[in-house]
Amino acid sequence: MIQIHVLEGKGFVWSYEDARRIREEFRMVGILVGALARKPRQNIRLGLPLQLLPEETRLLLELGAAKLMRPTGLQPHREDTIQAEPPPTGIAVYQQGLEQSYKEQRHLAAQERKALLDTLAEQIAQGQAKKRKKRGESADVPLQQTDLESGFVFPRESMMVQIPTERLEPGPQQELDWQAASLDWPHSGDPSHETRYRIYRDLWEQGHFVTGGTKFGGDFLVYPGDPMRYHAHYIVLCVPQQAPLPLYDVISAGRLGSNVKKTVLLCSAAADGSITYTSVQWSGMQ
Amino acid sequence: MDAQGSDCGHPLEEGSAAPGCTSTAGQERGAAPGLGEREPRSNWMATHPKLMEMMSLDVADSSQVHAAFLVYLDLLEARNWHEVSCIGVAELQLVCLHGREREVEDLQVVVPSPIHMSFSHERIRQILKRACRVQDKPDSPPSVILAIVESDSTVVYYKLTDGFVMPDPPDEIEDVDNKQSRKKRKKLLR
Repeated sequence: MIQIHVLEGKGFVWSYEDARRIREEFRMVGILVGALARKPRQNIRLGLPLQLLPEETRLLLELGAAKLMRPTGLQPHREDTIQAEPPPTGIAVYQQGLEQSYKEQRHLAAQERKALLDTLAEQIAQGQAKKRKKRGESADVPLQQTDLESGFVFPRESMMVQIPTERLEPGPQQELDWQAASLDWPHSGDPSHETRYRIYRDLWEQGHFVTGGTKFGGDFLVYPGDPMRYHAHYIVLCVPQQAPLPLYDVISAGRLGSNVKKTVLLCSAAADGSITYTSVQWSGMQ
Repeated sequence: MDAQGSDCGHPLEEGSAAPGCTSTAGQERGAAPGLGEREPRSNWMATHPKLMEMMSLDVADSSQVHAAFLVYLDLLEARNWHEVSCIGVAELQLVCLHGREREVEDLQVVVPSPIHMSFSHERIRQILKRACRVQDKPDSPPSVILAIVESDSTVVYYKLTDGFVMPDPPDEIEDVDNKQSRKKRKKLLR
């Protein structure tokens, strides 16, 4: 069961295994919001925790794949737990895992380097021949083949390490009932959340990848596959069916969409449960 | 790069004012008493037979009729559309236009509207539903062109279609993107 930790109405996932499952099994992306230990002063790449949209959180809960956890107090600062030595077998297993991971990474890095050298082989040979010519040596000395794997230097500091961001011992916490609105989870029953959720769920069930839409001024962005590999196709605007929609807004959304090659999608949830979608596209008539 | 990709050359921004009409024409019609002596020239629009026809349909308020007339002129004279006709839709209180962008192309429904108006999504759905009745192809999703008219008679066109319409695939821009992101990735992994 995936554990989603609530903080001020937001859901966070700390376990890397859970975060991975959410992406691979449930096609949900969320956003990584934790600073990377190695690159603290940038925000292009971030790490755990994974922050989920309220809609993503709710869908995981409704699917019965996750539970919402709420801290019930600060974790007491217990010297003894921190000082307590983990069992020696645990340490050994961890070290073994690290060693194994190092070997694998070294092997992969060596292979990558070999592939790179292979693609450049011709240029390298030409360059070396040129150099020899300059020094007056004969140009046709055969290239010496070295065993890359054995001579390959892969410093231990370059190794990727999975940092366990999850607490080994969870503090005092209790499961939260997400169906009732509370201070920790104020979304349930909120009309705009309910509309957004129904639209999110409908899009998700159609097989799309759906993420938050702030980047392009929408409610959601719809991708045909994993956002790491695809551009978004649609900018979703959730609008109440009867609310007047100023044409200025239609123009600005449509114009922005056409500039970034996306279709703006007006979405409404009808009272009968159906969702209606209308595509808005700038018509470049000349 | 095509016209959509560049942010400066909005093709509709230039020369989109309907020929022969100024921003004040029509709206201040009869409001300025000083215009009395030039009445026959400045008011050609008010007596234009097409405008009279749209008025006589008696389905929409005057600002929507006026917008419809400006779009009518724009389609015919600036965009060379074919077989443009006006249709009054009483149930939606709209004067709509039908026409073909090119002679051989399908009939399209154009919904003119002044910029200050608001459409609810529900109303857009009603318009789409109504439009699919006149479309040539019953199997393609219903769509209309929303023609939004500024007070200076600039017209911008947005296509509204039922359901999901995939955007055009990005072309060369993709490669530039990749080069940049590769550079970025390299920098990050260093």
